Amino acid sequence: MSKRLNDLIKDKAGKDEKLLSIFITAGFPEIDSTKEIILALDEAGVDFIELGIPFSDPIADGPVIQKASERAIHNGVNIDNIFQMMGEIREISQIPIILMGYLNPINKMGIDTFINQASASSVDGLIIPDWALEENQKYGDILKKHDLDIIHLLAPNTPPDRIKIIDEVSSSFIYCVAYTGVTGQDNKPTEKTSDFLKTIRKELNHPLMIGFGIKNREDYLTYTNYADGVIIGSAFIRLLEKTNREERREAIDRFIKQIR
Amino acid sequence: MHTLTNRAGYYGEFGGQFIPEILRPAIVELDQAYTKLKDDKNFQEELDWNLTHYAGRPTPLYFAENLTHHYQKAKIYLKREDLNHTGAHKINNAIGQILLAKNMGKKRIIAETGAGQHGVATATVAARAGLECCVYMGEEDIERQYPNVQRMRMLGAEVRPVYSGTKTLKDATNEAMRDWLQNVEYTHYIIGSVVGPHPFPMIIRDFQKVIGEETMQQLKKMENKLPDYLIACVGGGSNAIGLFYPFLNSEQVKMFGVEAAGKGIPTGEHAATLLLGEIGIFHGMRTYLLQDDSGYVQPPYSISAGLDYPGVGPEHSFLKDSGRVKYTSVTDDQAIAAAFLLGKLEGIIPALESAHAFAYLDELLSETSPDEIVVINLSGRGDKDMSTYIQFLEK
Repeated sequence: MSKRLNDLIKDKAGKDEKLLSIFITAGFPEIDSTKEIILALDEAGVDFIELGIPFSDPIADGPVIQKASERAIHNGVNIDNIFQMMGEIREISQIPIILMGYLNPINKMGIDTFINQASASSVDGLIIPDWALEENQKYGDILKKHDLDIIHLLAPNTPPDRIKIIDEVSSSFIYCVAYTGVTGQDNKPTEKTSDFLKTIRKELNHPLMIGFGIKNREDYLTYTNYADGVIIGSAFIRLLEKTNREERREAIDRFIKQIR
Repeated sequence: MHTLTNRAGYYGEFGGQFIPEILRPAIVELDQAYTKLKDDKNFQEELDWNLTHYAGRPTPLYFAENLTHHYQKAKIYLKREDLNHTGAHKINNAIGQILLAKNMGKKRIIAETGAGQHGVATATVAARAGLECCVYMGEEDIERQYPNVQRMRMLGAEVRPVYSGTKTLKDATNEAMRDWLQNVEYTHYIIGSVVGPHPFPMIIRDFQKVIGEETMQQLKKMENKLPDYLIACVGGGSNAIGLFYPFLNSEQVKMFGVEAAGKGIPTGEHAATLLLGEIGIFHGMRTYLLQDDSGYVQPPYSISAGLDYPGVGPEHSFLKDSGRVKYTSVTDDQAIAAAFLLGKLEGIIPALESAHAFAYLDELLSETSPDEIVVINLSGRGDKDMSTYIQFLEK
């Protein structure tokens, strides 16, 4: 695990505070605005960032992130640009950043090259939803060597023996989706889901983050009952969609402070 | 640490299970159900009964005398998958998978469709099984294959138009996967080609290999020998693998998979994945893929909605690299000309997809001799394509 992420998790656990992470698509809404958005999020008190690598066929995403992804690709973003952005961001901010993307663009660059460059540009972790455990375990050693953690996903339908395996191969935190579905759906936890979350939280050795469909303070309060923190994606992308660039910094600050 | 089953469902370096964790339980369930049922006598009997009495199998292996006479370069046989109930080979897979779905206790069926043949086949078997059915179809394909849209609706299926991306088969598959993520507990996704995460490519190939098995038996009766050449069109590749698979170990049988060259390879508007793609990860599998330098999927193009797909079944990627099957391509115009020739000489209007296989005859027959045997998979009939054909009729 990266030192930045490790320090953050320890610090929060020590103070008994919850984690808040925001997902943004790199190069959205404008190709050159990612740095200023991340800086605004950092200043507003967000704990870490999930920086999305766009993909042409994001099967785990709902319409909001699909559209952001499409726009970012149209803006000309690819992994090379994103590593360049990382360099510029790290000159001004040390907020932990996790890259989130589908496997094909990474595979195209070459998985080893990608891991090397991610590490060299101070990325703190990776979330790759279509890179199943069975497929990524052979990269365990090289990832460890670079202090890069793959954050594994769990879902309310993941069987107990599988949850154990995922816990064992994880090193920073575990990402549980709030429901079986795609990002950005309307959702309230069912009794079954809250029971599931309570049970796994007791059993897991790693902190638990919940994402998918979390959009406001109410959701934040609901889900932090069951977890160490939450991730907000589509709701924040929607905010970016409807805010002018000049007003963005202030809007981001308001959005985050409204959540906690 | 617990042991993980590694290299599940690989053909050489192709295949695998590149899926979000949410789909894992469904994939495991499907794998277990299929492993149990494929050797189960009752299941096989039920499958055979359905293929015989409902789909109309075996389909004829037809000696195309006029076509043979026209070329005078080989004896040409057609495997008449167009004579199946619903008009294409797609019903073979749909019948098999609906039995699996019922066995797993699923209440709802989803499918993607390009040309609409798989959608119709799925709507058909779902209607008969009394299961709710939802078919995703790209807006552009809805337009060019409209008769099939109406057929699906008459069969009680909901056809959900897909407006994202290229509005064709690729995006219909994306939307079907998103639906599956949301409704995975009670829904079975009947994938229409030998694509997707393991075990789909294997299951669909097993349900389609009846095409090749029948061909082998029929030709033995008629000619008392194996074919010299097999030709089939390749989009995802289910009709091709169905014909090829039983012959793979018979080295003397040469096999040709024909991809869509669209407006011509140099124009960049084509769907020739195996010829021009690079290895990628797409729709749950590692396979050849049309993609750009950034790893974004390149929109394919073909006049035929069923071949208009940027990926291909992983087993085909393997057969390409091993050299066992030769993959080649023909353009829209060549396919149209072949369809008109078949209509005129044999009284058969082929599906636009199948017309691609016929178009390759011109090239293949330059190297054959009159006593050699060519079998072409006539994978579907052309009723659904009349609006396209009419445009060329008027020219």
